[in-house]
Amino acid sequence: MTSAPGDLPEAARRRLDQGAFSSGLSVSDFAACLEMGLEPVGLVQGFCAMQWGNYSMVGGIGRGSTPFGGSQGGYVENYQCPHGMISVEHRMFGQNYEQTWIEDSWREGFTNAYARMIEEAQALGAHGVVGVLDSESSFGEAGVIEFHARGTAVRVLDAPPPTQSPWSTYLAGQRLAKVFEAGYVPVSIVASVASIRVWSSCVTEYLMEGTTGMWSNSTGAVEIDQLVSAQSIARDVARSKVRAQLLGDALHGASLDVVTREFSKGDFEIQSHLSGNRVRRFKDVDPLDVPKPTVRLS
Amino acid sequence: MSDVSSASSFDLKAEVRRAIAFLDTAVTNSKSMTSDLSIDEELNLHSIGWEPVELVSGVSLFSIPFGCWNWGQGEIDAASTAHAHAFHNAIARIHHDAAQAGGHGVVGVHIERSIHPTHVEVSLVGTAVRPVGARAIEDVNVFVSDLSARDFTMLMVAGWEPLGLATGASFVFAPRRTMGAVLQQQSQNVELTNFTEAMYSAREAAMERMQQAALGMHGTGVVEVKVVEGPMRFATHAVGFVAIGTVVRLVKPLHQLIRPTMVVSLNDRIVAFDAQTLS
Amino acid sequence: MSNPTNDLPQATEHRLEELEKGLFTSDLSVNEFLLIKEVGFHPVGFVMGSSIYHTGIQTRKWSQSQELTKLTEAMYNARELAMNRMEEEAAELGADGVVGVRLDVNYYEWGKDAAEFIAVGTAVKAEDGVSRLNQLGKPFTSDLSGQDFWTLYQTGYTPQGLVMGTCVYHIAHRGIGQTLGTAGQNIELPNFTQALYEARELAMTRMQDEATRLGASGIVGVRLEEKSHQWGSHTIEFLALGTAVTKTSEEITLIKPTTIISLDN
Repeated sequence: MTSAPGDLPEAARRRLDQGAFSSGLSVSDFAACLEMGLEPVGLVQGFCAMQWGNYSMVGGIGRGSTPFGGSQGGYVENYQCPHGMISVEHRMFGQNYEQTWIEDSWREGFTNAYARMIEEAQALGAHGVVGVLDSESSFGEAGVIEFHARGTAVRVLDAPPPTQSPWSTYLAGQRLAKVFEAGYVPVSIVASVASIRVWSSCVTEYLMEGTTGMWSNSTGAVEIDQLVSAQSIARDVARSKVRAQLLGDALHGASLDVVTREFSKGDFEIQSHLSGNRVRRFKDVDPLDVPKPTVRLS
Repeated sequence: MSDVSSASSFDLKAEVRRAIAFLDTAVTNSKSMTSDLSIDEELNLHSIGWEPVELVSGVSLFSIPFGCWNWGQGEIDAASTAHAHAFHNAIARIHHDAAQAGGHGVVGVHIERSIHPTHVEVSLVGTAVRPVGARAIEDVNVFVSDLSARDFTMLMVAGWEPLGLATGASFVFAPRRTMGAVLQQQSQNVELTNFTEAMYSAREAAMERMQQAALGMHGTGVVEVKVVEGPMRFATHAVGFVAIGTVVRLVKPLHQLIRPTMVVSLNDRIVAFDAQTLS
Repeated sequence: MSNPTNDLPQATEHRLEELEKGLFTSDLSVNEFLLIKEVGFHPVGFVMGSSIYHTGIQTRKWSQSQELTKLTEAMYNARELAMNRMEEEAAELGADGVVGVRLDVNYYEWGKDAAEFIAVGTAVKAEDGVSRLNQLGKPFTSDLSGQDFWTLYQTGYTPQGLVMGTCVYHIAHRGIGQTLGTAGQNIELPNFTQALYEARELAMTRMQDEATRLGASGIVGVRLEEKSHQWGSHTIEFLALGTAVTKTSEEITLIKPTTIISLDN
């Protein structure tokens, strides 16, 4: 066991050097590990605190009077007012744009927390980490978000010592066993976030208020294009970011969450979070027979 | 696969060692498949020769004119129409997404539907699937369904195929004369026929619209029909009824019986505890 | 097939016509669908019935615990109306029975002294064309799931109808302890116990009477529900529900079940 490299805090090094065993696995997951020939060697985790809250790209005053220029190659779409009238309250433009700086900060926080967890696993001489749990929590009013990743480091019995960085997966227990049986080997967890800011155009705002007629340019029910666009793009961007991390491998057991926050009237952020297990096929699909249907009496 | 009765000579530990060793070779041989199916669901698909292809989604927001929730009479057309359009558009988008990815259908769709005072929002997420190695097909023939992969597998084994999701919605006002006034005039133990008719009709209308949609897909039947109903949070005098189900069609000449076995499980209830609490 | 004396709303007629043309609808899960096919039934259509009924009571502080017979009647009638309408829909479709019946109660804010009673289920028809109507010449109803329906058939019994018995009971307002001079002690309250016992027995007996009328040999899946609806905690409705069954096949095709020990968690 080599001493902990990198930037792990003192307390972590002491804990890992002790050689004591602790694990976040339930009894059944623990049993399943042993069945797979995986020996849990310790609970590992990583943290990273990031400053948060820089949401404005352009100040409030200039907003809506000119088309938006874009943000470092991210998605941007302008919605021009169709009414041809200029007044202080009536906005000339609405905008959807990708907040790439938010996405990059998230990426940094997540990656650092993950890397530190992996370092701890390496210090224990583990081959991989199972049952990963990742979370973000905000601290008080200060605009700080803490990223936390933890899991159970495992060693493969009767196998040569690890030569590469440990693999990782959200799965544990029987579900992980079936993944191996199905012909997949876990590579790592992957996750990404897409953040789309929406400044409602006049049309969008009137539709959201429920006004019909002259200002919303509609005679009845219509689709709210600007928001549909933002929602669709948010999902697409999250998926392409994750795809870029797969490098030809597959994504198994993915989970997609989309949250909309409203800062003030007509001012939204749509954040979509996609995470899953990057896995690779190590043998061809060997399909089972169609499962036997049963009716359970008790 | 973990039953005592089917203990195989499959050596799990050896497979795991082999899998881990494979990681050292830098080869990746498959096109990036993405899926939100669990491993059980994937194994079910494989057993009938299908595979997941891509995680897909479709979204729509449709506006409702202001003032349509003010207490009036009869059906709230604007809301019913908005719901129908929002659903239709969201389905069309996930349809398109799936066809682009080369899928023949989408299973396990999570449907999130919310009705606000000024708009209806529908969001769909699922995994596009196809017969292993099949080529892409026309948009129109792609099915979208909220059936789980397991249900999809059993249906196919029995000779049926899903065609799509059918939905019907109807939003109505509670009858205008407040119930309090009506009750004062009635003695106990009596049916309130106006109110009954209003709610009953609305429920039937939602079901009928769902049926219409199913007929439009040339289906033989609709399974897993769910009727969600209740007053609007923001307008309790307005009640909404939404019916949704999966349209199916018999593709083999006859329904294939599945002949299940009866089983009696000898498991006692297992009480599992989390090792974390001991440290 | 339309019955001129039924009281179903207009909207229903059209929907049922569509179903008669051959499209079936069902709220059965895929598993249940496959299992009813196994025993030779095919779903015909999703059927429902509802009734909004006056359920209010004068809140008086009765000094004795007693059944509130007018309310019992109201609860019973309301559910009967809903069930009958559901059965009428099934009869319109030429069905042999209704499976997976669910009885629900909806309370609306704009109707505080009333509630909507709803009965829904899936109408089914036997594929061999042999009529399975019950002793009263009506489609059978049952709240059995598809799985239980299949299992019941393996035993040679068939469902005849969903049977119910109800009793609305009021529990005296004056503290029971005060009445008996035993406030503050831990003892059994024989009168109180007796009262609740009686209420439950009344509900069960009424349910059994219904089964007898159907010529049934027994009742399966009995459950007893207790609801206060909107009356406060001193007035409770005891509702007994079950499916009345009859033996129709001399040979019991009870297959020996396989025993399994699952290692999955």
